[in-house]
Amino acid sequence: MRDLVAELRERLALVRQGGSESARLKHTDRGKLLVRDRVDRLLDPGSPFLELSPLAATGMYGAAGQDNAVPAAGIVTGIGRVQGREVVVVANDATVKGGTYYPLTVKKHLRAQAIASDNHLPCIYLVDSGGAFLPMQDDVFPDREHFGRIFFNQANLSGRGIPQIASVMGSCTAGGAYVPAMSDESVIVKNQGTIFLGGPPLVKAATGEVVTAEDLGGGDVHARTSGVVDHLADDDAHALRIVRSIVATLPNEKLGRPPGPVEEPHQPPESLYDVVPTDTRTPYDVREVIRRIVDGSRMHEFKKLYGETLVTCFAKIHGYDVGIIANNGILFSESALKGAHFIELCNQRGIPLVFLQNITGFMVGREYENRGIARDGAKLVTAVACSVVPKFTVVIGGSFGAGNYGMCGRAYDPRFLWMWPNARISVMGGEQAASVLAAVRTDLEDEEQVEAFKAPIREQYETQGSPYYSTARLWDDGIIDPADTRRVLGMGLAIAAHAPVPAPNYGIFRM
Amino acid sequence: MSESLGGETRIDTVLIANRGEIALRIMRTARAMGLRTVAVFTHADRDAPHVRAADDAVEVSSYLDIDEIATAASEHGAQLVHPGYGFLSERAAFARELEGTPGLILVGPSAAVMDAMGKKDAAREIAITAGVPVVPSYANDADPGTFAYPVLVKAAAGGGGKGMRIVRSQGELAPSIAAAKREALSAFGDDTILIEKYVERGRHIEVQVLADHFGNVVHLFERDCSTQRRHQKVLEEAPAPTITDAQRELVTSSAVALARAVDYTNAGTVEFLLDSTTGEVYFLEMNTRLQVEHPVTEEVVRVRGERIDLVEQQLLVAAGKPLDFTQDDVSLEGHAIEARIYAEDSFGGFLPQAGRADLVRWGDDARVDHALESGQVVSTSFDPMLGKVIAWGEDREAARARLIRALDHSAVLGLTTNMGFVRALADRDEFRDATIDTAWLDRAEVAPPEAAIPLRLAAWVDAVLASPRFAADPGDPFAPDGWRSAGPKAPVLVALEHAGAVHELQVDIAASTIDGQPVRERVFANHEVALTIDGQDERAVVNAQPHGVEVSWHGQRFVFDRPDAFADHGPAAGDGTLVAPMPGTVLDVLVAVGQQVTEGETLGAMEAMKMELALKAPFAGTVTEVNVAAGQQVVLGASLIVVTAADA
Repeated sequence: MRDLVAELRERLALVRQGGSESARLKHTDRGKLLVRDRVDRLLDPGSPFLELSPLAATGMYGAAGQDNAVPAAGIVTGIGRVQGREVVVVANDATVKGGTYYPLTVKKHLRAQAIASDNHLPCIYLVDSGGAFLPMQDDVFPDREHFGRIFFNQANLSGRGIPQIASVMGSCTAGGAYVPAMSDESVIVKNQGTIFLGGPPLVKAATGEVVTAEDLGGGDVHARTSGVVDHLADDDAHALRIVRSIVATLPNEKLGRPPGPVEEPHQPPESLYDVVPTDTRTPYDVREVIRRIVDGSRMHEFKKLYGETLVTCFAKIHGYDVGIIANNGILFSESALKGAHFIELCNQRGIPLVFLQNITGFMVGREYENRGIARDGAKLVTAVACSVVPKFTVVIGGSFGAGNYGMCGRAYDPRFLWMWPNARISVMGGEQAASVLAAVRTDLEDEEQVEAFKAPIREQYETQGSPYYSTARLWDDGIIDPADTRRVLGMGLAIAAHAPVPAPNYGIFRM
Repeated sequence: MSESLGGETRIDTVLIANRGEIALRIMRTARAMGLRTVAVFTHADRDAPHVRAADDAVEVSSYLDIDEIATAASEHGAQLVHPGYGFLSERAAFARELEGTPGLILVGPSAAVMDAMGKKDAAREIAITAGVPVVPSYANDADPGTFAYPVLVKAAAGGGGKGMRIVRSQGELAPSIAAAKREALSAFGDDTILIEKYVERGRHIEVQVLADHFGNVVHLFERDCSTQRRHQKVLEEAPAPTITDAQRELVTSSAVALARAVDYTNAGTVEFLLDSTTGEVYFLEMNTRLQVEHPVTEEVVRVRGERIDLVEQQLLVAAGKPLDFTQDDVSLEGHAIEARIYAEDSFGGFLPQAGRADLVRWGDDARVDHALESGQVVSTSFDPMLGKVIAWGEDREAARARLIRALDHSAVLGLTTNMGFVRALADRDEFRDATIDTAWLDRAEVAPPEAAIPLRLAAWVDAVLASPRFAADPGDPFAPDGWRSAGPKAPVLVALEHAGAVHELQVDIAASTIDGQPVRERVFANHEVALTIDGQDERAVVNAQPHGVEVSWHGQRFVFDRPDAFADHGPAAGDGTLVAPMPGTVLDVLVAVGQQVTEGETLGAMEAMKMELALKAPFAGTVTEVNVAAGQQVVLGASLIVVTAADA
């Protein structure tokens, strides 16, 4: 596990640099701050920052470190505190392809807005982007979850009273121009920020008019003449101070923290490295993980003696009540029923759910099918799907097959889904998939041919089951250091506490 | 002690006709002697520390109101009235009033002595008669051509530098005398003028004397108060650092002789000027009261090996007791230096300061006579002296080191004082080497302490206060520890504004660095911080507030503001075209093409919608277009005047 965490840190360090050295120099030479330096200055002094999917787009447009790589998908998103309240930050990295939107840039931007929507968090956009990445316009522009959705979301979030604030710190071209224009309140940096629907080259092509970027849509134009922005800043630092001042004017709807002191777990978080075997096939007691995450290492276990392959317990994390559901082996009918019961309990009591996912699937075989494991699995899936309390999923091992559904995979809308670096995710194991596919083939004559057929399938599953493959595609909100699990869950709970919980309403439980 | 003070009349109460530190100082001794204390106060001082410290307090309309104060003393059972220094302390009229009121005794000499010594010309004559050396002088009607210039023209009734003129040539003499007379008349009601030799490089030496009603006179050695700014003493010490045995013998014996000559009683001070060039000593004047700087004498004088309390001696003498020691019993031990703390901005033109002293700290390594506590409001209606820091050492260097240390541990925040200035002064080589003459401060520049270290101290305090160590909710998952899910913890960025510039410092509490420099925190409690920054020990008193951070470092107050996003960031260097904001009429055009204009300068005016509008230059530059004339009707958005920026 320590090796896996070291690899994670190495990959993060590379991505944190942003674009190439020359691109970064060019950026800073113009008096602009690098994107993470902007975020640091936006947040309260010392505020933590829960960065989302920093490894997005890893290897998708080019290998890490290569010219065509798009580190972090060219956009930094996350949650931190400004003026004592949690906000969602969406910040373009202009050192990465001029901050243009690749398909995953769009996806990451939309995901941040979804988090703002689910948790009622103000959005702060630090804009420095050339707009859509034109060579991939078909994967960026036209569809429902493409570029246009950003502005659809801004309008609707604003409509729900979720503040939208933009600071234009570089280009803000074409569709991008709508980010500040659709915001409730906006700032522009003098001699640096520009906003226009069509840049000088396009204007010249369209009408023959020759105009400088500053005259077309610079800070002075928009702050004094067009009214597209509300505040004119001297530089990045000043713009960020103005944004902070804007946030200070927002009505505070933060819900109080639970009272009482918080007791740390009795073992240090790093001891998790030694608890969890790296090979997902090696069994271990998941309670050892839970005790290292919850307050005072205390768990009130529910139905300890029934359906033992699923551990359900009430506990506290950073003072927040949670119901934890953790795999401790394969899912049987009893474990599924126990899980469904526990989810109902938590919904009845309004207690957020934490899923610690390490599941190879539901039990298969005649006996189990005949006894209706599908019926009981459906109950668990129904309970998870219709649950209304905030849900958080951490994939601490395998995430295979229908186990992913019953344990609140991405499709079940957990508020956040994080992966440990040892996690594996696929519809089934590589070996099983290869065997199944080999079995339906009739043209494989001997063991050698079977093996030759199975090897690339195994390899494909090996590659695609990697957490890096997952996080690159935004199937999750990031790979975390297991030692950070408690912290990350605590932050998630604090974030989720902003939005009220509605009354539960389940679909039909097949009895 | 009241027993021992009881003579024919029982003496058990003293009224203190003063305020501030000296009132507290007198009460301290009076209480130790078993005396009841009565304070007087004006309305503005009703919550002042001396009012609370006294057993009884009487409101008066002024600290200078002789009748009210005498009445207060009689009505509130006081037998003794201690005037302190300043106010009524050298007013013969006050002494005379008390002398005429049965049952009241002034703690000081008689009105007759005050009259005699209060006028410089009369005092000079007495001194000459007593064989005391005086500055060579010239008769007012002598031939100015025979004077050895420079000469000093001064008011006979003067003090505190008022009515004084240094005249360097014969031509300047007549107008200087006229001006000195005018000043003397308005300040003292007496325009008698003296002309005497002016000593260019001199040291101020003064001798403390004590005399009882039985003809006993002793001296308590001398003080040196050469570190002055425009005749206001800043640093005072005892004994004098540069004096020879012969000079000491001369000044002390002269002082005693003078006291005897006038039948002086109680504590007094005889001032001399020591000419650094010739070594000659000249009598200047006699102060018929307790001096501000009396503590340095108390710190170094021993009577039969014991310390002496000058206020106690004053009260005993006033009560009619004889001195219980002789000159032979008096000796010196060690060295003492006093720094006066004033509410003034010494590095900003010495302007008097007023305000609320939010946070006051005094080092515990030195004697501090003060009447300033945290939260006290200081006004400009009284003397700006807030207190005195007095350090004693085995020798002068030890005393000087202790004084600097005491000032480093003291602080006044919320209000600017000269503490940083006196600290810098005490640290100067010239003071160490005792080469400062009375005019040195009027020539020399003392550089203010630099802001680099206090900025770091402020940033560290600010960052630590924002850190989980001081978090209201330690269990908060958003605890402000700079945690990053995608990397190492971020340092705390502290942005502070000082002298018009924003400084951004990176404080990494976990790594214990400020901008990469290693820091070791030694003290962090109760507004005090001590850090070792890059191997250098630093200490400060810090008050961090939402609007900014104040630091007292090396005695100096630094105010660091947090940058204000909405402070005026100056006009944007945008378009210099002044356009008509509304349709209207041009009233006036004040500039022509080619004219240089400054930022904000009014270039013209127009009238629209019944309002008159000034057309102002958006920035400094040159007028390049004037498109309208007075009386002209203009449409909305019409270009009126164009200014091109100076640097464009």
